[in-house]
Amino acid sequence: MSASATTTTAVAAGRGSNFARALRRSGRNFAQFWRQLSRNKLAVISLVIVVGFAGVAIFADLLYEYDFVTSNSLENALLKPGESGTVYYHDKDIEHTFILGSDNYGRDILGRLVHGARVSMIIGFAAVAISLCAGGILGSIAGYKGGLFDTLIMRATDILLSIPTILLAIAIVAALGNSFFNLLIAIASSMIPGYIRIVRASIIQVKDQEFVEAAHCIGAGDFRIVLRHILPNITSPIIVQSTLNVGSAINWAASLSFLGLGILPPKPEWGNMLSEAREFIQYAPHLLFAPGLTILITVLAYNLIGDGLRDALDPKLKR
Amino acid sequence: MSAAKQASGAAAPILRVSGLKKYFQSAHGKLHAVDDVSFDIAKGKTLGMVGESGCGKSTTGRLLVRLHEATAGSILYDGQEVTAASDRELKKLRTRMQMIFQDPYSSINPRHTVANIIGEPLKIHKKVKGAAEYEDRVRSLMATVGLADRLYDAYPHELDGGRRQRIGIARALALDPEFIVCDEPVSALDVSIQAQILNLLMDLQDKLGLTYLFITHDLSVVKHISDDIVIMYMGQIVERGPTEELFARPIHPYGQALLSAIPVPKLNARKERIILKSEVSSPIDPKPGCRFAPRCAYASPECAAADPALREVSPGRYVACRLAEQFV
Amino acid sequence: MENILEISDLRVHYFSNRKTVRAVNGLSMGMEAGKVLGLVGETGAGKTTLALSILNMVRAPQGKIVEGSIRFAGADVLAMGKRELRDMRGKDVAMIFQDPMTALNPVLTVGEQIAETVRKHEELSIEDAWKKAQAMLETVGIPADRAKEYPHQFSGGMKQRVVIALALACNPKLLLADEPTTALDVTIQAQVLDLMRKLIRENGTSVLFITHSLGLVAENCDEVATMYSGEIVEYGTVDQVFGKALHPYTQGLFGSLPDLSAATDRLKPIPGLMPDPTALPKGCFFCPRCPHAMDICAKEHPADVDLGGHRVKCHLYAAAGAAKGAASAAGRRAE
Ligand SMILES: Nc1ncnc2c1ncn2[C@@H]1O[C@H](COP(=O)(O)OP(=O)(O)OP(=O)(O)O)[C@@H](O)[C@H]1O
Ligand SMILES: Nc1ncnc2c1ncn2[C@@H]1O[C@H](COP(=O)(O)OP(=O)(O)OP(=O)(O)O)[C@@H](O)[C@H]1O
Ligand SMILES: [Mg+2]
Ligand SMILES: [Mg+2]
Repeated sequence: MSASATTTTAVAAGRGSNFARALRRSGRNFAQFWRQLSRNKLAVISLVIVVGFAGVAIFADLLYEYDFVTSNSLENALLKPGESGTVYYHDKDIEHTFILGSDNYGRDILGRLVHGARVSMIIGFAAVAISLCAGGILGSIAGYKGGLFDTLIMRATDILLSIPTILLAIAIVAALGNSFFNLLIAIASSMIPGYIRIVRASIIQVKDQEFVEAAHCIGAGDFRIVLRHILPNITSPIIVQSTLNVGSAINWAASLSFLGLGILPPKPEWGNMLSEAREFIQYAPHLLFAPGLTILITVLAYNLIGDGLRDALDPKLKR
Repeated sequence: MSAAKQASGAAAPILRVSGLKKYFQSAHGKLHAVDDVSFDIAKGKTLGMVGESGCGKSTTGRLLVRLHEATAGSILYDGQEVTAASDRELKKLRTRMQMIFQDPYSSINPRHTVANIIGEPLKIHKKVKGAAEYEDRVRSLMATVGLADRLYDAYPHELDGGRRQRIGIARALALDPEFIVCDEPVSALDVSIQAQILNLLMDLQDKLGLTYLFITHDLSVVKHISDDIVIMYMGQIVERGPTEELFARPIHPYGQALLSAIPVPKLNARKERIILKSEVSSPIDPKPGCRFAPRCAYASPECAAADPALREVSPGRYVACRLAEQFV
Repeated sequence: MENILEISDLRVHYFSNRKTVRAVNGLSMGMEAGKVLGLVGETGAGKTTLALSILNMVRAPQGKIVEGSIRFAGADVLAMGKRELRDMRGKDVAMIFQDPMTALNPVLTVGEQIAETVRKHEELSIEDAWKKAQAMLETVGIPADRAKEYPHQFSGGMKQRVVIALALACNPKLLLADEPTTALDVTIQAQVLDLMRKLIRENGTSVLFITHSLGLVAENCDEVATMYSGEIVEYGTVDQVFGKALHPYTQGLFGSLPDLSAATDRLKPIPGLMPDPTALPKGCFFCPRCPHAMDICAKEHPADVDLGGHRVKCHLYAAAGAAKGAASAAGRRAE
């Protein structure tokens, strides 16, 4: 009894220390990664911006009530940034300062940007994540397995690519119905072919190298070889593509909203704010600048983070 | 079965290759990389393989550990057919057969640390329990091949060619294999480390009874380490024999040229070098007949008529040349 | 004769993981035009780093030339701008890389790659460049009809030959050959080296020939330098060094060769390992492994001793060198 008890504790202790070791090692790896990344000041600033926007999106309700940013108060229409006005809201008149001004329905632009962050940030991120997974898997199969898989997947990709993206998205949303999730699917599927091509091409470049053969030789399975040996060597084109895609996903969402297929007003979204603002470009350019600059900053930040990530992940650039 | 095995005794070959062929499809036709090669290796022995660059040595080595699928032929390893092994059998076989690769640059993954590269086979085959044992094992493997402890977390690009090659050797040794295909394991190393590695490989052989197929261009190395030698030319074996005899008296004209071209690290040691006509023939859909004939000083029209077979011309000496008797 | 390459007091460090690898330590050397200098030495001695420094191509951000000067044909390489460097690389100075794949693009056929290089340096039509590429392949012993294949379809030695063809295609003034023939069999090796010698004769190319094969040095080089821990520890003509190696490390290299003419049971490598380049010993770098180590060796770093053009960094010869040095200094003053 006691003997077995001691062995269990010994094993547990052993496991504990192993776990601690693994933890320490991955901690060290992360610290090293972080040191690498933090050398790139622009990437750090961009990361702060993106995290900040994400925070704003999460806590949007604490900053502005949703009803407040969606209800009209026409008497306050087209206020300049910093002006204030009286808003009749929840059966009360309240004095409110429009920090970034108001739109043609008298809604607070900053408030709409804050709530729009929810949609835009999620779409930017989720569409890329979905298309990256799908495209990555299909591209890996096509590139690594070759033969019939390759032919089938690549021809399907060609077909997808030959349909104009906007038509494809319209078709998907029209078929599945107009909802946030379907919008996501539509945008993601328009980005999948790009990933398939990039991943396949990069894999073909790497898979004939001797270290892949060496991995076969020590008995590694296909899954392990792709995941541990090939993918880490093709991260840079994928990261570049992804950061570009975050931007275009946000833009696609905007375009589809504009066509009435995405997020419909009054629900705020950066893209539909932008398209609504076009009419007033002459009288109230701030209507255009606010969402336009926000989109620009977000997209730029994602790109800079991408560059930083790519460099930080490359051991050759480590110091 | 087992009785028969025992009866044949220690000399029973652990590896028996017969009629092995590998054709690659190329733009212009079939590239005959390995064309009907047969040999066997006795347990605990070293077979040296030399030949012109591009003659199919690495391909042969890769076929043995099944990194390529053979076009035809059979590879019997310890009674098991390698060319027909299922995935599971193959995974098991790979703990017994390993390969050290030719190019120390492309054969290790630039994104992994030294420890990860050496330790990966241990993880795949679950040879160790727990991180502590894993780390100890990796460190002891590093010590075995003479890699300094400080390099545990280093990345390959920080290392020079010699140290990279030792990573490859440590990786191959990690699973305690019985048979190792050594594809030019020392050509990237300086002579002192080359000597260390050769001593190491030979010590391991003495201690663990390892069997090697040793591919190299360095003829003094192959002479030092091998028991038997095969000389290949354009996908075929042109000569085979015990090391000492073969070096003393090469029979095949290509073998003669090869041995005469060995650079000697002494002043004015220039021997008479046989200069080969540098007429290159392509291994793509080769014409029948002796493949060396276009460059051979003794060739006559009959040489191009038919493939010369590898035959025993004097005890233990096999040569594929129509005129072999003339050179004995 | 004017030296085509002049390196003085070169120091190259790599910074990795907060440690400093001292790869090249105060190295000085000169190369005469039209000569072949063989460079031998332990793996990790810094031979490749030296060659990369000459092209000012030490891999940033880790690698850095911290001190010294390199002059190629009178021009300061380290002060060159991007354009000048690009012009120099490939045209005046070509390098054959140790790792053939770094010089080859996996997605272009070998013929395309050679033709492209040729066209960069010569005014040729696409067809002519392609013909020249095929001819270059033939000279390194690869059938011309394989020009349309991709690097991965070639064997190790064939890739190496393609790289050699690439480097030779533009008739450089200085060729940095980093272990160009390790992957080649002796007959092809002889063929490629004949080609290299022809180039030297015709164009007066100088070659820095990095190799591990002492046999090749004996047969192909005019001068030899032995490198250890980022220093040249011995330098002389082939006759001098192969006649009588002075430095214990060079002697050790000769001692560890397998002998073709006699059967040896065990090779005799130099005992011990290279010193850790992040923490080099204070005295002579070779001291911990040296069979002739003296007290002074651990304390003081040896200076170059010149014995009639045969230079060696070793305390064993300090006395002999002082005598000779005094004599030659007197001689120089007399001039
Ligand atoms: N994956 C491949 N696809 C097509 N051809 C190949 C492939 N691998 C090798 N070959 C060809 O097969 C032949 C033999 O190649 P192999 O690598 O076996 O030569 P080798 O004897 O090892 O040469 P080296 O000494 O230069 O390494 C060569 O002509 C080569 O071009
Ligand atoms: N990027 C790097 N980061 C850190 N250390 C490096 C890096 N590149 C090279 N080194 C170190 O610098 C030293 C010199 O390396 P170098 O490649 O010049 O050696 P070498 O003489 O060419 O060796 P070999 O004959 O094996 O090719 C070695 O200790 C090596 O580990
Ligand atoms: Mg090979
Ligand atoms: Mg090197």
